[in-house]
Amino acid sequence: MSNVKVLVVDDEDSIRRFLRVALASQSYTLFESTSGQEALSCVAEHKPDLIILDLGLPDIEGVEVTRLLREWTKIPIIILSVRGSESDKIAALDAGADDYLTKPFSVGELLARLRAALRRAAQTPGEPVFTTGSLKVDLLRRLVTIDDHEIQLTPNEYELLRLFVVNAGKVLTHRHLLREVWGAEYGNEFHMLHVNISNLRRKIERDSTRPQFIITEPGVGYRLRIS
Amino acid sequence: MAHKDSPPNSGQSLKKRGTGTPALKFAWRYYLLGCGLVALATLLGHFTSGLLAPTNILMIYLLCVTVSAIVGGLGPSILVSILSVLTFDFFFVPPYLTLDVEHIQYIFTLIVFLLVGIALSYFTSMLRRQTETSKRREQEMAALYALGQDLAVASDLQSYTSSIIKRIKGTIGQDVIIFLPDARNEAALKAYTDSSEINVDANISNTAARSFQRKEITECSSDAIKGLKALCLPLVTTRRAVGVIVLIKSGDAVDYSVEQERLLSAYSDLAAVAIESIQLADELHNAEILKATEKLQTALLNAISHDLRTPLVSIIGVLSSLQEEGMDLDDADKRSLIQVAREEADRLNHLITNLLDESRLESGALKLSLQPAEVNDLVGATLEQLGSRVNNRIIQIDIPADLPFIQVDFGLFVQALVNIVDNALKYSPPDSLIEIKARYVHQEVQIEIDDRGTGIPEQDLPHIFDKFYRIKRPDNVSGTGLGLSITKGLIEAHGGHIEAKSQAGRGTIVSIILPVSADLMTAEKFNE
Repeated sequence: MSNVKVLVVDDEDSIRRFLRVALASQSYTLFESTSGQEALSCVAEHKPDLIILDLGLPDIEGVEVTRLLREWTKIPIIILSVRGSESDKIAALDAGADDYLTKPFSVGELLARLRAALRRAAQTPGEPVFTTGSLKVDLLRRLVTIDDHEIQLTPNEYELLRLFVVNAGKVLTHRHLLREVWGAEYGNEFHMLHVNISNLRRKIERDSTRPQFIITEPGVGYRLRIS
Repeated sequence: MAHKDSPPNSGQSLKKRGTGTPALKFAWRYYLLGCGLVALATLLGHFTSGLLAPTNILMIYLLCVTVSAIVGGLGPSILVSILSVLTFDFFFVPPYLTLDVEHIQYIFTLIVFLLVGIALSYFTSMLRRQTETSKRREQEMAALYALGQDLAVASDLQSYTSSIIKRIKGTIGQDVIIFLPDARNEAALKAYTDSSEINVDANISNTAARSFQRKEITECSSDAIKGLKALCLPLVTTRRAVGVIVLIKSGDAVDYSVEQERLLSAYSDLAAVAIESIQLADELHNAEILKATEKLQTALLNAISHDLRTPLVSIIGVLSSLQEEGMDLDDADKRSLIQVAREEADRLNHLITNLLDESRLESGALKLSLQPAEVNDLVGATLEQLGSRVNNRIIQIDIPADLPFIQVDFGLFVQALVNIVDNALKYSPPDSLIEIKARYVHQEVQIEIDDRGTGIPEQDLPHIFDKFYRIKRPDNVSGTGLGLSITKGLIEAHGGHIEAKSQAGRGTIVSIILPVSADLMTAEKFNE
């Protein structure tokens, strides 16, 4: 029995059932809740290592559950939502959720996100060099290389890339990136963000139409893909 | 209670109303005029008796008969004929100043004169009446023609009623209200007036409603304004009552003349037919809409029952084979079965996404969350979403690096692109090239998806963006005929448009054209 505890919060019985099987196969210990209220008390009682949270709960909104949890815990939260509710996803991510999946999703994708989130949570600080595929970012020396060729980035491009590296695999919303790189008053300058991402991609991606590193999350934000 | 009905008028004519015609009212004047003429002729005869023979003096009387026939009609001229014979006999036939006749020939003259006079009176007055009638007919025709012309250019009930009101008002000089059945509420009548000042009080509308139901002319007086009377004329066609014309009369108003009444009834006949025709057209239009809706629902039902069930058949089939214990499946079999189920499930998901988008577009519930986006990125996300379906195809992408950003809802625009590329994949051979090109021309970004596939027959090309339109093809490629119509709806929701060019056997080019706002013109703007 693994010592990793996962809480699944969803009011759909069939979804909980297949997640139960999928997660048990990875030897995670599973807790289940069917409502927000139940989820909050379950987290307090069992202190799971990760929460899979459906946004459409019968009692409290998933976004609100996220906000309430973030008041006292940094447990990774992966949001489940349906297509078309981008604003809810963004709200949940801005409230502190780590990642999201749009229903229907594949179990493979869920497990990958779950592992990435657990790894980030367990990350010990002070790892100065990050590598994914041909991309290598040395945070100590502010050095970016692709296949050992140095890439020249503008300060803003480097700052964006640094945020991606620090949050590797995590979805970063447009607004979050703008606030972190340019400051809170630039929270709505989407064009500026997209232009910088576009330029950054042109420098580090082999094919900027089908990027390998900086992945677009439609209508939500970007994430750095980790190999 | 202020209102009092006049006794129901059984005939649909206004004729028996009113006390008399002006011709009859003023008739005594013409008789008087006749007498005057005879006196004048006698005087003239007296002064000229030295010059003229008595038979010639008789001609003067004949003139009087003719004049009074023309001016006064039959009655006065017969009177003049008789008077003429008597006065002529009295004054000019010897023995003078008696009614005796000396010579037998004068008796003959007088009898013939009387006959001629009467005949002349009769024919002249008949001619006069005919002239008057035709003149009246002409006026009526002109008035009806004018109304007909008004109605010909009118397009809706409001303009119909206002031209009818205008014409009737022009004839009788009084306010007019037209009541027509309300389109939304069959039981109620809706009042149409030409000015908001006209007070449609409850009594008038109740009387109008009664008049409409019974198809009877009804009169009532207003509750609100003392002395105001309303005359309700139902508009009746051969089939039914279509409305009511209400004539508002102030209490001291005189009755209508024969001409006015005739014109009123002609107007109301024409109005009834015109209003019925527009009501029938409305009904037909509604019936057509209903039919189209039903057709659409049937198509939707077919799409759902066929296209949603087909993937489910495979999925259930696969799952049940895996569940079946007696079946001996090796791992390769299982993998290929699962692959089939997975692909079908993805197809089902795509279909449901389209159906949802369609219903959102339809209901106007689709809210775009617009942000600047790079065409490059949109195309990348499109190919990402199509997943394994594009991995083994040759896709050539040609998007200039300096292309301006476009303002789009990323997810929905990608959905539109997915639908187009999905079609290109479906209707072209697996080894053929698909090109995705973008360029910037005249403040617009144009995105083109070209395939080297079967193409679209010329007669189908104008319809491919219609809902549920599917081209009849020998190869039985699955689809609902929803994809392109949704795509069009999505692109238009973005303020752009979509067009398709095709040559059968040579492939299809689908172009999306989107305007670019000035502040998104250049990608280099924010470069440090």
